[in-house]
Amino acid sequence: MHRTLSPRTLLIRVASAAVVLVAVMLACALVGTERVSFVNALSGGSDPASPNPDFEILMHVRVPRIILAAIVGAALAGAGVTFQAVLRNPLADPYILGISSGAGLGAILAVIGGLNWTLFGRSPIAAFAFAGALGTVWLVWVVGRVTGKFHVTGLLLAGVVVNACFSAVIMFLTSIARSQEVHATIFWLMGNMAEEEFFVLWVSGGSVLAGLVALFFISPQLNALSFGPAEAQSMGVNVRRTQVVAFAVAAFITAVAVSLSGLIGFVGLIVPHAVRLVFGPDHRQLLPLSSLVGAVFLLLADTLARVVVAPAQLPVGVVTAMLGGPFFLVLLMRYNRKVCRLT
Amino acid sequence: MTASAQLQDVTFAYRPGCPVLAGVSLTVERGTFLAVAGPNGAGKSTLLNLLAGLLAPQAGTISIEAGDIRSYSRRDLARKVAVVRQESIPPFGFSVAETVMMARTPHYGPWGFESQRDRTLLAEALDATDTTQFAARPLADLSGGERQRVLIARALAQDTPILLLDEPTSFLDLKHQIEIYDLLKSIQRDKGRTIIAITHDINLAAQYCDQALMLQPYQGPDTCERSDPSDAATGQYRIGPPSAVFTPAGIEQAFGVRVFAAPVGRESVILPLGHLAADAGKIGLQQASDKATPSEPNKT
Repeated sequence: MHRTLSPRTLLIRVASAAVVLVAVMLACALVGTERVSFVNALSGGSDPASPNPDFEILMHVRVPRIILAAIVGAALAGAGVTFQAVLRNPLADPYILGISSGAGLGAILAVIGGLNWTLFGRSPIAAFAFAGALGTVWLVWVVGRVTGKFHVTGLLLAGVVVNACFSAVIMFLTSIARSQEVHATIFWLMGNMAEEEFFVLWVSGGSVLAGLVALFFISPQLNALSFGPAEAQSMGVNVRRTQVVAFAVAAFITAVAVSLSGLIGFVGLIVPHAVRLVFGPDHRQLLPLSSLVGAVFLLLADTLARVVVAPAQLPVGVVTAMLGGPFFLVLLMRYNRKVCRLT
Repeated sequence: MTASAQLQDVTFAYRPGCPVLAGVSLTVERGTFLAVAGPNGAGKSTLLNLLAGLLAPQAGTISIEAGDIRSYSRRDLARKVAVVRQESIPPFGFSVAETVMMARTPHYGPWGFESQRDRTLLAEALDATDTTQFAARPLADLSGGERQRVLIARALAQDTPILLLDEPTSFLDLKHQIEIYDLLKSIQRDKGRTIIAITHDINLAAQYCDQALMLQPYQGPDTCERSDPSDAATGQYRIGPPSAVFTPAGIEQAFGVRVFAAPVGRESVILPLGHLAADAGKIGLQQASDKATPSEPNKT
């Protein structure tokens, strides 16, 4: 029997990755500047008169942040896989269609505007970033669509140009803003994890999960689309629908991630490649595995970011690039050798 | 015999007033091996894309397996027509088995996995194209000839009565060109498929094909603005047995080159003559004048 992905293999691998994720989440909950014990924490924190510090730290500081990192990591890696497939470009990442600059512009407008209302517990920065991200993707999509029927190159170009243009606007606004505001914005642009309300985590986690499930159901079509739209269409794939669903869903989960944590680079680019190098390019497997690995990776990076220079914190984006770069290069050399030996 | 593919007065233009194909009517019988030849820009690939349903004609009708092509959904058409394009390598390292299996994508179950029947078709397609031994290797690691066989295997796995191929031998050496033609011939004969292949190799095509179609670009005014599409020049294409279509005169006219033609046993070979060929003028014109084609003034 010829080796193609079997549902059994997929289930085993996804389940193993999920177990690893849960284990890493538990381990990271114990890591931090304060020592906490699960046993103490389990005794609960319902009594406001004598607060249980273990419970407070665990439930209100670490667990929300750990869940947040997992959501953002999964969203970025899953979106990265999707953009690389639809754009047929190994250099694509979740931000390639202008999402980053759109979100950045939204965020800096919120900061400069001095807005201080909240929406469902979210700061105006997050809301503006979310709107900016989706608005920019829509703009790029409309521009790219004018350029042709199967408009992958047009989309890429439109994304790059919009990115450059909006980045200039961001720099302009930064240069005329007061220094305090600038600092807040730059910190946000570097990618910043903070403790979140559970309500926010449930809503965003639920929407990211729903998005990833939707993408899984078009993953066979993404495989065919890797050969190009004309070939995919000749094989009976509804190219238009696949492209629209892929772009819309990937852009949406990226926008959710960006509004939660700012711009965290590298996860969406490197994790898909690492998983592809080890497990192969089949998107039915690549998508769920990358999401889980992305969650683990960002979780580890964020844990490092909060303990390495404690009590201060590093921006997590710095850690992802510094940690992920060398790790990926090792994978690249190791697995390239294997491929070469096969031939 | 029934028609596998039929074009009726098909006109297609990428820009209004500049038809690439004008008033083309032809019938390809089921189980035929048709070679499509003609100079660049004559509309060979356009014809292929029309038959594959990627383009729609501005006028005329196309029927595939006795049904109007417009009546098929994307998925239905993919059950009738499979396409092998030139050199397509995806940016990601899919294996040969994964590549061939992709032809079954529209038939996967609700969870996106192949059925037993899909796996049988995969094994048969690999077997028929003699690619089973590198089923696990990445597509990009194969030689050009091997890769072409894999893409033909994918078209076979699609399990369609019609196979369209766009210059299947264009990057291959002589041995592999013959190998591909042998393979296509066996697919036609053993599996009864209709094969329509674009080719520039007139001599090989003449040996293997039952029918030949010679397309010629529209020769109009430079602006190619014509008020009435019906005054499209007729005789822009010729279809018939290869011996009737691939004549020296026909080729000189279609491609605008001088050729040398000679019988080799029962086959007839046609060679183009470059401007620098020794005595090119003499030989070429002798052969051409045999067929009484009006040509350049005699230099001898």
